[in-house]
Amino acid sequence: MLELKDVHTYYGNIHALKGISLKVEKGEIVTLIGSNGAGKSTTLRTIQGINRPRSGSILLEGEALEKLPPHEIALRGVAQSPEGRMIFPRMTVMENLEMGAYARKDKSGFDEDLERVFNLFPRLKERINQKGGTLSGGEQQMLAMGRALMARPRILLLDEPSMGLSPILVELIFEIIQTINKEGTTILLVEQNALMALSIANRGYVIQTGEIVLTDTASKLKANEMVRKSYLGIE
Amino acid sequence: MNENIKSGITFGLIGGLLTFLFGGWSVGVLGVLMGIGLGLALGPRFNPRDGWMSLAKQALPAAAASGAILLVLSLLQNYVIDPAIGQNFEDLDVVIPANLVGVVGGILFTCIVTALHGLSEEWERKGKIILLGLVILAFPFVDKFTELRWTAQIIFALIFVILGLGLNIVVGYAGLLDLGYAAFFAIGAYTTGILSSPQHNIFLNFWLVIWIAAGVGAIFGLILGAPTLPLRGDYLAIVTLGFGEIVPVLFRNLIDVTIKEPLTCWILPLFKIQTACITFMSHEDLTAGEKGINPVGRPILPIIKLNEAMGIELVIKIAVLLVALALITFLYIRIWRNGNRKVGSVASYAAIVAAILIVFLPIPRTRVAVFDNVLGIIQPGEFQSDNPIPWYFLIIAIILLSIFLINRLRESRLGRAWMAIREDELAAAQMGIDPVRTKLLAFAMGATFSGFAGAFYAAYIRGIFPSVFDFSASIIILCCVILGGIGNINGVIVGGLALMTADRLFLPALKDFLKGLLDHTVLPALSSNPTLQAAVGQNANPILYRFLLFGLTLVIMMSVRPEGLVPSAQRRMELHAGEESGGTPVAAK
Repeated sequence: MLELKDVHTYYGNIHALKGISLKVEKGEIVTLIGSNGAGKSTTLRTIQGINRPRSGSILLEGEALEKLPPHEIALRGVAQSPEGRMIFPRMTVMENLEMGAYARKDKSGFDEDLERVFNLFPRLKERINQKGGTLSGGEQQMLAMGRALMARPRILLLDEPSMGLSPILVELIFEIIQTINKEGTTILLVEQNALMALSIANRGYVIQTGEIVLTDTASKLKANEMVRKSYLGIE
Repeated sequence: MNENIKSGITFGLIGGLLTFLFGGWSVGVLGVLMGIGLGLALGPRFNPRDGWMSLAKQALPAAAASGAILLVLSLLQNYVIDPAIGQNFEDLDVVIPANLVGVVGGILFTCIVTALHGLSEEWERKGKIILLGLVILAFPFVDKFTELRWTAQIIFALIFVILGLGLNIVVGYAGLLDLGYAAFFAIGAYTTGILSSPQHNIFLNFWLVIWIAAGVGAIFGLILGAPTLPLRGDYLAIVTLGFGEIVPVLFRNLIDVTIKEPLTCWILPLFKIQTACITFMSHEDLTAGEKGINPVGRPILPIIKLNEAMGIELVIKIAVLLVALALITFLYIRIWRNGNRKVGSVASYAAIVAAILIVFLPIPRTRVAVFDNVLGIIQPGEFQSDNPIPWYFLIIAIILLSIFLINRLRESRLGRAWMAIREDELAAAQMGIDPVRTKLLAFAMGATFSGFAGAFYAAYIRGIFPSVFDFSASIIILCCVILGGIGNINGVIVGGLALMTADRLFLPALKDFLKGLLDHTVLPALSSNPTLQAAVGQNANPILYRFLLFGLTLVIMMSVRPEGLVPSAQRRMELHAGEESGGTPVAAK
């Protein structure tokens, strides 16, 4: 479904992605794990069109994305729940969700998706008229994910959904990610919390200083000695 | 002391002190206006369940306090202030009715407006709209009757209200700080000037020109908006500042314009091909530079000759217009009620076109005296300088149209996109919003409304001069928006009215008042010290301190009430979130 082929991205002179190739098949959860500064978020930003790859190609079901501006990529069904959430702080929860569905024009589909989001995140329904900026961190994460789902994306990019959340909330969020996936959304998940990510993903990629160093099924990665040492903290 | 009575005294004091400046009938008008204001302030303090009768009674003490203060100050004005500033005591047949209207009307209106709060929410809203409508409708006639001559100045304030509404789209909705908005005002005004003046011997009808001006404004909004697209925040503001400076300079210097077609004049001769050079424009004076364009054409309408028409003619004229209006309204409602939207909209466009044709087509002469007389009555007449009433209603109509359009815009997808861009451009792009298109449209839409304002201004002043549109104009428009409350239509209207009436009405009146006071009371008392006398005499002109006072107002506003006089709910929440929850507002990033 989504394929990156030898993608190189630079920040000025800094070579951030040194030839990333990865593939997400339809219906999968694929996780990209790695330490701080390895290039996880840059990979997502490159897919989103916020950073431009200097070379390489990004294909969404065969269509090249790498030359499109961010809003065009969003219109093609790539939704992101970004790092730091980036919700609209002065809009209400409802308005945020409406913005998520901005690209769509079908009213009936909107109501259906709204119900789906409220089923996934009952907390959002309780806070429907509250301003985004006044929500707690966990609620903001839910809102960011709900907003991304409102676009009924073909692929959902999740950037550090566990960041800054309490362990209980992290578990809840990961359960919801699994539910979203079972309902048919393909997911590319970027996480520092490698243990959680690998326990729900089908496959995983390990990224180190801008390069993919390892790829396998999630269960095999979990058993891999290097991964266990570096990312799971298990000797 | 009771909180309500305090408010009553405050309003009475404001009204009473203003009568010092304006004198004459002003106490009547101010009394009623302050009464309405006091009613609006008191209403929400009472429990609406008490019923409207009880609310009116509860408002009575405050209203009476306000009226008493007003009466005391007004009498003080008549018997102490007037002699002190060298004015003759006004006739008792002005003083008595004016005070009576001010005090009784003020109390009455306080109670009525307060009582509105006791009605159901829907009726309260309707009642307020009807009341506001009546005030707006009655104002120019009352003004004419009482010889206060405020209307002409209020019209200037209303021009700035439209400008504020337009700027509010750019700054308030889309969050793009524009420091050169007067450039679009100038473009609207100059478009009107060029297309309806002897400057180029083009005399297009004002009703056509105003739309062209809006369109040209929108196009320039796109052109000037384009270079600012990659910029954000401060950088954007600086670029718009540059445009604001460039445009008036350009208009100042477009006095000798030659436009040649480049291919035939320069490029082909380079290749030694001899062609006739095509010149589009040769040494044209487009804008008359510093002299300005003068006179600019004025709007025409059939009802304008009301003053000239006498007796039976007047009656027929009004009757014809009312019947035509009723017919159009009836058809319009009838067709919309039937639910066929398509037919409805076609019919309403047809009705509008028909109305325009009826109003503006010259009426043919028939050679039959009776017909000619009847038709002659509805022959259009021109708006005149000495009668501000038609201008007043024209600008009110433009404002109502603008409010309608802006409300529709704000609720539309585009409006949503503006808000999202203002909040977070990157996140907005991830929702599928095209930031380039959205921002350009904000500039274009904002400029459209300044096109309206510019066209009206040019016609009203009858001339345009480049100095009007300099940086200070941009800043004043921005001040109107900030003072009233960024992002809120009602706030912008209040801000524009407050700031511009202060500038156009209050300061000149204060100047006359101070001058009178100095010449008749203070300066003779200082005759022993000629240096001090001269210093006081020269500096006591508040108009000199206009910008100081503007600045001071802004500084005080920003520190006391940063969300503006009538803030949008969103901004109030954002700026005071910390106070309510006892912590700092939660930032999302």
